[in-house]
Amino acid sequence: MSPWERRERGGLYYTRSRKEGGKVVREYVGGSILGELAARMDAEERRRRDEEKARRREERERLDAFAAPVEELCEAAEVIARAALIASGYRRHNRGEWRKRREQQRS
Amino acid sequence: MSSSAARKSLEAARPIGHPGPPDLAAMSKDEIEERRATVAKLQDLSDRAQDGDEEAALNIRKILDGSPDLAWLFIKGPAKIAESALINEMTKDGDLASKEFLTHQLESMRVEVAGENPSALQRLLAERVVATWLEVQLFEALYAVGMKSGTFKQDDHCQKRLDRAHRRHLSAIRTLAQIRKLGPAVQINIAEKQINALG
Repeated sequence: MSPWERRERGGLYYTRSRKEGGKVVREYVGGSILGELAARMDAEERRRRDEEKARRREERERLDAFAAPVEELCEAAEVIARAALIASGYRRHNRGEWRKRREQQRS
Repeated sequence: MSSSAARKSLEAARPIGHPGPPDLAAMSKDEIEERRATVAKLQDLSDRAQDGDEEAALNIRKILDGSPDLAWLFIKGPAKIAESALINEMTKDGDLASKEFLTHQLESMRVEVAGENPSALQRLLAERVVATWLEVQLFEALYAVGMKSGTFKQDDHCQKRLDRAHRRHLSAIRTLAQIRKLGPAVQINIAEKQINALG
């Protein structure tokens, strides 16, 4: 919805919408120069908020990237350890403890 | 133990006949992809072996026999990349003294965690413990800063990231303890190359 509302007399009136107690409340700011000024200030505030949001998202992604090589290392180490256990004759018992298989124990 | 002594101790623990750590600078993109493909194959074979597929277990042995460098590739690859990136982030602004201090601390930790005469597998798991510990330290510090400044107060992404790092660290400790408990019976290279230098 446009923040500019056309009045019955023909002029444009600048409004702001915000939520109060789950309901949308419309604040009537003004027309002509006052409305124009408020619209510019709001646009500037929106731009500043978007920039801050983008900056935080970039920082978050940069920090998340630190986890990537650690994740790769963890995944590989887990797979290699599991493979080494199987190759050495172990089997995981009920998704818990690793036990030597009976025929391996006999040999 | 000093850093150089720690390094010597780890070098001495390398199994006889082991070709030594690969030269990462000479590692191509194809080789990195091959390393990842080997792990993916091992993952698939392990799942099948766990379900009782005997042939899968034999194939795992073949792969491990044919790739004695596999653990080293990950020690010198993702482990080093992770460590270096985390140290740089934790000690930025050209603080070389802190960087050196942290590097030494990690070296000592690595020796302590790896234990005496570690196999290549135990070294890999020790590297993982050290890397995940470092990751937890970084994310804990960032979380604390975020809480103070209020930037991340309502952003639970930071908390979730820290929780994941904690889980990875605990899992790393658990797997190393498991391999230690089972002793020298578990080796990566099943062929004659598996004899330990001091074992």
